[in-house]
Amino acid sequence: MEFDRELIVRAQAGDRSAHEAIVNQFSAMVFRLISRFFRMREDVEDIAQDVFLKVFARIDQVHPDENFPGWLARVTVNTCYDELRKTRRRKEAMETYGPELAAEQTVAPREPDSLGKARLALQRLDPKLRIPLVLKEVEDMSVEEIAKTMGLTQTNVKVRLFRARKKLQTMLGGTEGHSQ
Amino acid sequence: MNQLKDFFDSERKRIFEPDAFFTQRVISRLNEESKEGIADFRIWEALLSSTRPVLTFALVLILCFIGIAFFVPQLPQRGMVESFLAPEQNPAESFLYNDTDVPSRPIVLEQLIVLEEQQ
Repeated sequence: MEFDRELIVRAQAGDRSAHEAIVNQFSAMVFRLISRFFRMREDVEDIAQDVFLKVFARIDQVHPDENFPGWLARVTVNTCYDELRKTRRRKEAMETYGPELAAEQTVAPREPDSLGKARLALQRLDPKLRIPLVLKEVEDMSVEEIAKTMGLTQTNVKVRLFRARKKLQTMLGGTEGHSQ
Repeated sequence: MNQLKDFFDSERKRIFEPDAFFTQRVISRLNEESKEGIADFRIWEALLSSTRPVLTFALVLILCFIGIAFFVPQLPQRGMVESFLAPEQNPAESFLYNDTDVPSRPIVLEQLIVLEEQQ
C-alpha cells in the first residue's frame, strides 16, 4: 500500500488533518481485519475507533521509515485478540453464573446448517488459535506475515495453525456425529 | 473439511465498510481524549485514589502547622525578671546565670581571665 511518510511526521506533531488523512486512508483496512473476528457492525465500528485512538496515542513510537501499515495491522489484531478474550471470559462467566436460559426457552433452537456449525466451532476456538487460522485462511496471509503481525515466531504460528485445524476437525466431527 | 472451505469462502465476502462519518467520530473522540489527557497530567490525578485521603490529611496538618507558626507571635527569649535584672548584671554574671546571650568562645575566655586577675 502506497503511503505518504510525511503524514506520520505531521501526525506526530499533532496535526489533526494528518490524523484525518490516516483514518481516511486506513479505515477500510482496519474494518476488513476486524470484520474477520466480529460479526456485528457496531462491534467492528467500536473496535476500529479504539484501534485508531491507540495508534494516535503511540504515534511517537513510529519511525517514519517503518512499515506503518504492518504496524497498524499488528495493533488491530492485538486489539481484536484482547476483545475476543474479554468476550470469551464474559461468556464463560455467564455460562457459569448467569441465569439458566435453557430452562426458559419454549421454542427449540434451530439446528445450524453446515456453515453455521463451522462458524460456531470457530467461535469456540481459543483466540490465540483462532486469529492465526483466520488470518491464514480468510486473509490469505503467509506464515511470515502472520508471525510479524502477531509478534510470534514462524514455528509458533505453524504450531498454532496445526492445533487450530486439528481442534476444528475434532469439533466438527463431534458435532456432526452428535447431530446425526 | 469441505464445509470449512465453504465457510472460509463465505467469510471472505463478509466485510464491513466504514461509513462517511467514521473519520469525524474518531477525530472527535481523539479531541475528547486529548482534553482528558491534559487533565490526567495534573499531580492529583496521577495519585492513586486510595492514597488521596491520607495525603489530604497530611497536607491539611502541614498547612495548620504553618498557619499556627505564622500567626502566633514569637515569645521573647528572656522572661520579665531576667529582663528587669539584666542591666545590673555584669557580663560574667550574665554568662553564669543566663545562657541566652552567650558570647563567642574567645570573648568568654577573655572575660574569665579578667575576672581571675581582679580576684
